[in-house]
Amino acid sequence: MEPTVTPQTPDPTTASSTDALHAGTGRRNGTGLATADLITIGVFSALYFVMVCVATLVSTLFTGGFGSIFLPAIAALISGPVFMLLDARLRRFGGITVMGLVIGLFLFVSGHFALSFIASLVFPLAADLIARAGSYRNRTLLLVSYVVFSYGLTGPILPLWFMKDAYVASLEARGKDAAYIEGVFANINTGTFILAMTAILVCALLGGWFGQRLMRKHFAKAGIA
Amino acid sequence: MGSSASRTGPHTLDPRTKLVLLLFANLMLFFHVVLVTQLVMAALFLTPMAVEGRTRMASRFAVAVAALTALSMIDPDAMGVPQLHVVSALAVGVSMMLPCFMTGAYAVATTSASAFVYALRRMRAPEAVVVPCVVIIRFFPTVARDYRSIREAMALRGIASGAAAWLRHPARSLEYVLVPLLMNATTVAQDLSVAALTKGLGREGAHTSRTAIRMRACDWGMMAAATLPLVADIAGVV
Repeated sequence: MEPTVTPQTPDPTTASSTDALHAGTGRRNGTGLATADLITIGVFSALYFVMVCVATLVSTLFTGGFGSIFLPAIAALISGPVFMLLDARLRRFGGITVMGLVIGLFLFVSGHFALSFIASLVFPLAADLIARAGSYRNRTLLLVSYVVFSYGLTGPILPLWFMKDAYVASLEARGKDAAYIEGVFANINTGTFILAMTAILVCALLGGWFGQRLMRKHFAKAGIA
Repeated sequence: MGSSASRTGPHTLDPRTKLVLLLFANLMLFFHVVLVTQLVMAALFLTPMAVEGRTRMASRFAVAVAALTALSMIDPDAMGVPQLHVVSALAVGVSMMLPCFMTGAYAVATTSASAFVYALRRMRAPEAVVVPCVVIIRFFPTVARDYRSIREAMALRGIASGAAAWLRHPARSLEYVLVPLLMNATTVAQDLSVAALTKGLGREGAHTSRTAIRMRACDWGMMAAATLPLVADIAGVV
């Protein structure tokens, strides 16, 4: 058993928390996040993971064998409210990063490509920094942050670009001519790449806007956003 | 992932071994291993699954491997139907990702929540990762239950919530389902925080675990057995 505790670092931004729970725990994990914050992040990450699962299902229904090509776009379309409410509840650096990281871990453990882990660390971290620049209140920056965050899910679709190489290798191993397949895939690859990336952009803008609309319409009124 | 499945029987691999197998599956994808290696590794991955009583899962994967290998063997040019390249390319692509699916399904199906969390702690994962993971595993079943309650409440008010409603009013349906889910999530986050802090999750120092995990001979054996064909392939021996 190893103690995993890092020394407490008093953080001026967390001191102003109105939540009695935060004051009670006092524990900072070197990230400026108390255990209560981490639990909040966990709850919203669970909801986000549900959204990702739904998106996988829908994407597989629509695109068959190329299963996850539109996964990030569909996930971006539907998880805007989850992202916006997490920011509104937390308003603290680290939430978006940890959410992306933990989702990456769950994707890896459930059999997704390991490199997706890098995407799910880099993009959420950038998104977190952007949102922090607007103190997690500036709507435009939050929207931009959500778009960047949505690219964190591009990891699971990376294997599609390995697929061509694998097929060419398999053809060559059997002594076949791979020129034909090279030609076909050249178009498909660039085409689908641009299509998939544009789809994420459009869907994330729509999803983020939808999330912010729900925030104003429901959660601000109820006093929990 | 239920607590009832937390028995560490003599045949259960350590969660860390499962992570290593996942890594190996990813390396296979990365290095485009040849067909022989793929089949040997598939057999190796399916063995612990079968030994731990997941015979149906193992046999399904075995059938998938066989079918995809057969499909990837077809020769579109010789048959004069170049369009068939799509089929065999897909078969090669999916069979390439299959090891990841196999090891992933195995890891998810046979690892209890507490063993997973304890393994994370033993690997010195920061608390900022461990705590959200615990919460996700704990909260996941709640989401399904909430969703059912929401659908019932919608039905009670005469709001259509079936597939037809989702197709006709996707944004409105999403709003009707998501808003209560999120409202509830904020409440649950508060409740869970109180419960977890009461149970000492926020305490400093080392945490004990009821589930013990240990690297056994079968763990080391499994890793060695899986390393051999992979290294042989990457080194170009096969």
